[in-house]
Amino acid sequence: MSSTGRMDAPALGLGSRGRAGGFSDWLVGAAARRRRLTETFVQTFEVWGYGYIATPLVEPLATVAAGVGPARQAQLFRFMDADGDMLALVGERTVSVARVVATQLQRGPFPLRLGYAGPVLRNQALHGGRRRESLQAGCELIGHSGLAADAECIALAATALDKAGMRDVQVDVGHADFVPGLLDSAGVDAHLQRDVLGALERRDLVAVETALQATEMAEAERRLLLAFPALRGGREILDTAMQDVRGERPRRALQDLAALWDLLDAHGITDRVHLDLGAVRDWDYYTGPTFEVFSEDSGFPLGSGGRYDGLLERFGLPEPATGFVLHVDRCLDTLTRRTGDVLVVAPVQVTWAAGAHRAALELARGLHVAGLACTCGLAPGSGLDGDRSVYVDTKRVRWTIDGRAGDGDRGAALAAVLQALRPRR
Amino acid sequence: MSALRVALPGGILLDGACDLLAAAGIARLDARRFDSELRVADSGHAFVKVRPTDIPVYVEMGACDCGIVGKDVLWETRRECYELVDLRFGECRLVLAAPRGSPLVDGKWTGTLRVATKYPHAAARFFDEVGTTVELIRLHGSVELAPATRLADAVLDITATGRTLAANDLIEVAEAGVSTARLIANVAALKTRSDDVNMVAAALRRAAATRAVQGAA
Repeated sequence: MSSTGRMDAPALGLGSRGRAGGFSDWLVGAAARRRRLTETFVQTFEVWGYGYIATPLVEPLATVAAGVGPARQAQLFRFMDADGDMLALVGERTVSVARVVATQLQRGPFPLRLGYAGPVLRNQALHGGRRRESLQAGCELIGHSGLAADAECIALAATALDKAGMRDVQVDVGHADFVPGLLDSAGVDAHLQRDVLGALERRDLVAVETALQATEMAEAERRLLLAFPALRGGREILDTAMQDVRGERPRRALQDLAALWDLLDAHGITDRVHLDLGAVRDWDYYTGPTFEVFSEDSGFPLGSGGRYDGLLERFGLPEPATGFVLHVDRCLDTLTRRTGDVLVVAPVQVTWAAGAHRAALELARGLHVAGLACTCGLAPGSGLDGDRSVYVDTKRVRWTIDGRAGDGDRGAALAAVLQALRPRR
Repeated sequence: MSALRVALPGGILLDGACDLLAAAGIARLDARRFDSELRVADSGHAFVKVRPTDIPVYVEMGACDCGIVGKDVLWETRRECYELVDLRFGECRLVLAAPRGSPLVDGKWTGTLRVATKYPHAAARFFDEVGTTVELIRLHGSVELAPATRLADAVLDITATGRTLAANDLIEVAEAGVSTARLIANVAALKTRSDDVNMVAAALRRAAATRAVQGAA
């Protein structure tokens, strides 16, 4: 077929060759790597005692709406079922876990550690370079309000990425109450507080500056807020900030971060941690420490998390909670950018000459039992006529085994092939 | 310092962007160099020239660490980037304008207003704020033709000098916003290359402030 021919309307008469726009197929190799990456994350979660749970892809719209702000709600794929109930495809999975805990695990035992992995869907505009379906793996630690829980989640996120080959990430840790507390204790009126927080969340620092110039507040505190995004660094920035901040609320946030830093140090991950006092994300959702994970090789965060003590109460269970999510596909993009696509390893091929099918299958069975990937020819190999032999091919070497050999000899042949194919350590 | 990848807007902001980068001591770029090449390396940074509306795309996706773009482009994009500094050049205003003789000019409009614009998001926000019911018609160019051809009752468009409006006999009725050039940055780059991005932001902020003072003097 000519190259122009390929651009013609496909057989199904649909655009995109029958695939919905904004969705991806994952082919052999890439799909396997994606699955393994997810498994690495989930296994790390389990090693840390986070029990794996699975929740539905579909939730009632009201359930999903309990956990995400208006902007994210606008991105939900929604539909109506036959009973007229409004449903949505989940755009993230923390809300589902919160629902499960509040309705089925409400007796604990707390603290409860749960992990999950699964697809989430967002109705992103087409042709924007953003995926509509992506994989998320995450953990929730429910029923403990102390900073040890926050530190554990941050350390677990960093460890899971480390296990997947991403040790050189950067974890930015902030506190959801620092900026709101600073504005509040500086006497900024509620309306303007919302303006500033909204602008920070939109990442519009020019608007933050404009709004702050219109407010009456102590010069040191104004300077501190305007210094965003330079309010970042190690443990030492807390002492600097402490000198400028008088309000009790923001000081409490700074004390939390100091204690959290010590815990993260005990976890052995402060080499990757930056404190970020200006971090404002979903300020009406997060209630304590928050964090985001970045890599030099990705323009988007690889993961994020934080304390959200108000969410479970919306489902009738007033328990504190903290957790995080890792964006599997962004992690995969980052790894692929570094190492290139992983080639599909061609499985070992067992071929056979006429009359040796039974011996070939027996050999293949032996390799399968040993966990070695191999395929067995479905018909006699061409050019192998008459000699009743079985051939084992890899890219590098070919063994010939006499299909007429006795049991003991065939066993010895299998052992020899296995010995040769075992990866050397 | 490691190299930053910077997106610059083709068109009327390009000269101003190059001038400001030079004044800030970040790079010595001649805008005409971009006539023959779209990618230029200078002073350790890599610069690309792209269409203004594409700048937030390059920056959000991480193809560039930061970019210079008009606020009017940011009004219309849903791309997530940090808007770091008001660079205070390339000023233009977003105005509502109606033909001479329109009741709108005398503030006597009742009913639904049909407005042609290249800025539907900014327009929707503006009319929400003033509480006017409008039907917005999105055009991609020559908006000022819309009233003359009865496509729309009024236009919401960018004007720097007011000449185009006057030439088409359109009278300014209200100002919906003011746009200047902004420095924007990728969300991750601000964290992973924070020293470099912050240094560039601070230098541009200083240069912009100096010029604003000189301009006023």
